[in-house]
Amino acid sequence: MTDNTGKIFDQVAVFQKLWMDSFTEMAGVWSQFSAGSPPVDEMRKMRGGMLKVLAETWDEYMRTPQFLEMMKASLNGALDLKRMAREGMNRVHEQFENPSKQDIDDVLLAVRHVERRLLERLEGLDDRVANVTEKIDDLDDRVAKQESAIERLEQTIRTKVQKPAAGSRKETGA
Amino acid sequence: MDKETSDGADWETWHSSFINETFANLRRLTAIPFLPDKMEQVRKGVTPREVVYEEDRLKVYRYIGDVEPTIKTPLCLVFALVNRPYIMDLKEGRSIIAQYVKAGFDTYLIDWGTPTKAERFLTTDDYVNGYILNVVNYVRERTGADKVNLLGYCMGGTLSTMFTAMHQDLVKNLVLLATGIDYSTRESLLNLWTDPRYFDVDKFVDTVGNIPAEFLQSAFLLLKPVSNLVEKYINLAENVHRDEFVDDYLHMETWLNDNIPVPGEVYHEFAKYLFQQNLLVRNRMPLGRHIVDLRKITCPLLNLMASSDHLVPCSQTEPLNDLVSSTDKDKIIWPAGHIGLAVSAKAQKELWPRAVDWLVQRSD
Repeated sequence: MTDNTGKIFDQVAVFQKLWMDSFTEMAGVWSQFSAGSPPVDEMRKMRGGMLKVLAETWDEYMRTPQFLEMMKASLNGALDLKRMAREGMNRVHEQFENPSKQDIDDVLLAVRHVERRLLERLEGLDDRVANVTEKIDDLDDRVAKQESAIERLEQTIRTKVQKPAAGSRKETGA
Repeated sequence: MDKETSDGADWETWHSSFINETFANLRRLTAIPFLPDKMEQVRKGVTPREVVYEEDRLKVYRYIGDVEPTIKTPLCLVFALVNRPYIMDLKEGRSIIAQYVKAGFDTYLIDWGTPTKAERFLTTDDYVNGYILNVVNYVRERTGADKVNLLGYCMGGTLSTMFTAMHQDLVKNLVLLATGIDYSTRESLLNLWTDPRYFDVDKFVDTVGNIPAEFLQSAFLLLKPVSNLVEKYINLAENVHRDEFVDDYLHMETWLNDNIPVPGEVYHEFAKYLFQQNLLVRNRMPLGRHIVDLRKITCPLLNLMASSDHLVPCSQTEPLNDLVSSTDKDKIIWPAGHIGLAVSAKAQKELWPRAVDWLVQRSD
């Protein structure tokens, strides 16, 4: 209780400081008023200065822990209220055996889980297919290399076989 | 004697100033009845386009120029999930898309559409490795190009960065505008407000499901309350008789108020993994069963940021250039705000021709 009261006082003090600072600095802006210049332009300048001061002090205020605590408390309050209302509605739907928003969300989530599992399996299969394709490509490369090696070997043997044959013909001819 | 002269001059200045202001006010008053007409004339996008691909709520527009595209590598634009994407083609003379189309790019834009409750559990992975991948593959197939150029704006930039890190072989060049990468900075109020000490994102998303457009709209308004709730209307009142000002104002307001809800799970992941845990810069951002590693980005990168951006300050964008492995990387810090970077008259005249030229030089 005392802690809460302390927090509230802190928040009020920061809010009060925001306005005090704003008014002090806005008064400072008015001290620059020059009666010799066209009044409309001067008023615009003053207004611009005041808005700039307000913008700066509000920005500073919105960064204070007190403002952030206040924002957290009000957001949590709103969320709790919404949850309470939803739980009440869920009970009503349950009594009348109607599907509630919660039921629909649960179904959606279940579908998503199934979809996710399927996608992951598909991605896994995709990776495996990619792996197999890579291996087949490797094999193809190796087969091609071996084939060309065999061809080269065949060529070499043929050349070797042809050379002695040609040599022997020469010898026979002589 | 001097005092009298000075008083006389003051009086004359005051007198003429009041008369001028009275006439200006009359002009302003007479312009007000024409506002509804002008509002009706606001169009959402100006460059002619056709829908070439659809998937769930998503649509892909292809923009049609006066001449056939001359650049082989197509350009795919990815926008954020929080607003409609026509800011990139806002009006005559304020269109990024028109500039790229004119330069000869075959230009495509992803319109995410409005998510319904059925999209509540869609994840960032579904967007990056699902929708964007499908669109990129479709565009590649359609154009016959091996790779596409990607241009991402704001949250769309973050998605594009993740996509490039996951599928570098499909991206030729990456252009980013006001893209959040390093969320450790507390310069932006959004980063401060999502601090885990003050914001329970699990409870929030569990309770509301999809994040309502109104919630996002009020958060954006609150970032600059004086400017958005006071100054803007004073400016309108003062310039209501100037046609060009009113036209710009109405186009911008139409877009600003055209928010869409964000799928709950995507918001949850962005708030938790990026805003609260800053996992992207640590190369630990989970995307389904994958992890995003920014070092896998090797393509040319152009990082555009705005020096007065209150939503995504430069300190949040700039670190990307040091986190990627690309050797060809540039950055431009432009004196504008988050939206001005895309649509301000000065940016359209001076920044975008440079950005377009950068991409032309690096595309086939």
